[in-house]
Amino acid sequence: MITVNNLNKFFGKNHVLKNINETIEKGEKVVIVGPSGSGKSTFLRCLNLLEVPTSGEIWFEGFNISSPKTDINLHRRKMGMVFQQFNLFPHLTILKNITLAPVTLGLESEQAANARAKQLLDRIGLTDKATAYPSQLSGGQKQRVAIIRALAMQPDVMLFDEPTSALDPEMVGEVLVVMKELAEAGMTMVVVTHEMGFAREVATRVMFIDEGVILEQNEPKTFFSEPKHPRLVDFLSKVL
Amino acid sequence: MRVVMFDKFFHDFYFGIVEKEGYKLILEGLGNTLFISLCALIIGAVLGTVVAIVKISKSKNVFMVLLKLLCSLYTTIIRGTPILVQLLLAHFAIFPAIYKNAPIVLTAIIVFGINSGAYVSEVIRSGILAVDKGQTEAGRTLGLSSFKTMRLIVLPQAIKNILPALGNEFIALIKETSIVAYIGIRDLTRAAQQITGKTYEFFAPYITVSIVYLMIVIGLTQLLGLFERRLRKSDNR
Repeated sequence: MITVNNLNKFFGKNHVLKNINETIEKGEKVVIVGPSGSGKSTFLRCLNLLEVPTSGEIWFEGFNISSPKTDINLHRRKMGMVFQQFNLFPHLTILKNITLAPVTLGLESEQAANARAKQLLDRIGLTDKATAYPSQLSGGQKQRVAIIRALAMQPDVMLFDEPTSALDPEMVGEVLVVMKELAEAGMTMVVVTHEMGFAREVATRVMFIDEGVILEQNEPKTFFSEPKHPRLVDFLSKVL
Repeated sequence: MRVVMFDKFFHDFYFGIVEKEGYKLILEGLGNTLFISLCALIIGAVLGTVVAIVKISKSKNVFMVLLKLLCSLYTTIIRGTPILVQLLLAHFAIFPAIYKNAPIVLTAIIVFGINSGAYVSEVIRSGILAVDKGQTEAGRTLGLSSFKTMRLIVLPQAIKNILPALGNEFIALIKETSIVAYIGIRDLTRAAQQITGKTYEFFAPYITVSIVYLMIVIGLTQLLGLFERRLRKSDNR
């Protein structure tokens, strides 16, 4: 579904991603872990071209989306993204936040979009917040709305950039539950996170990135019980 | 003493504004001042928004780079020269060359619109830059184009934040139009001058038009306040 060929990314002279080759198949739940500054968020942001690769190619559903000739807006519709800081639109109601993109892009009528937004809100138990503004929601509620806002575009893959890092500890659970349900429903997911419990439980594959290189990856059981690379052994000893 | 002063003012006011029909001049002046201000305000707001967006664009397209250069030149020149000089230059040199017999009101509208646009563009630019980058990213990841993201997500938030500064610009614009008498337009200020020409008394006419200007500005402030409260509905504070 997503193929990354020889991906390099520089910020000025800083070589953040070093010649990464990777494939993510449909239905996979890939969890990316690593120390801060390792390039894991940059890697995720390269997948939907929020960061433009310095060199290399990103292929998505058979299209080279890193080519300047590709209309990236069309492909981004199929790649949902959830941010650490939620990034809800503060000037719009929750309902409008969810329906803005599908209605503006002419994918759905306003009535159909509203109906589906209400279904999605119902799924996360926030039906009564439809007419509220983001500033009236808690962090956990905001992040759950951000997730269904991305889902309203009916994406084929969901990218999560540290979705629980900005939350109070007691709100982390409610967001992870929504993500777990999504995984169980068969969504292809790429998740950058520090939640090792989530990685262990939900991931089909865990990936360790350090200094811009994928040092090791494996299915979660082996990844956590038999790490091979000394850097990963060291990392796990600190976070577990 | 004080009573005598007020007495004299009311006498002069009555003589100049009513008996010598100064109110007709004031009404005509008010019409011109409002018309020029409103048209210039609209031109300035549209021009300012476009220039701000062009200046912020990171496009490397040759056409866009040239446009950006042009916009920088525009704000530099307009903000670097006095509006009165611009008005006189347009009226006596530029318009006679490109559009003979242009109505003077049109000249004034265009000069003030272009002038206001330069200031408004900087205000809007600061407003756009103050909106969190995450907002743009969220819009773009939902598949919205950069233009739609700007129009539906960034600009509405930017305008809410800059409304007080924008109000300042509009107020300054209205009062600056008082120089149009230089090219022969009968605006509010010119009306006061004409009344003094009839009565040889300065206090009453100038105080009268001052009050009219003040009323316009207070009205505009109220209107902006109303608009601001509507935009702040989502703030929850």
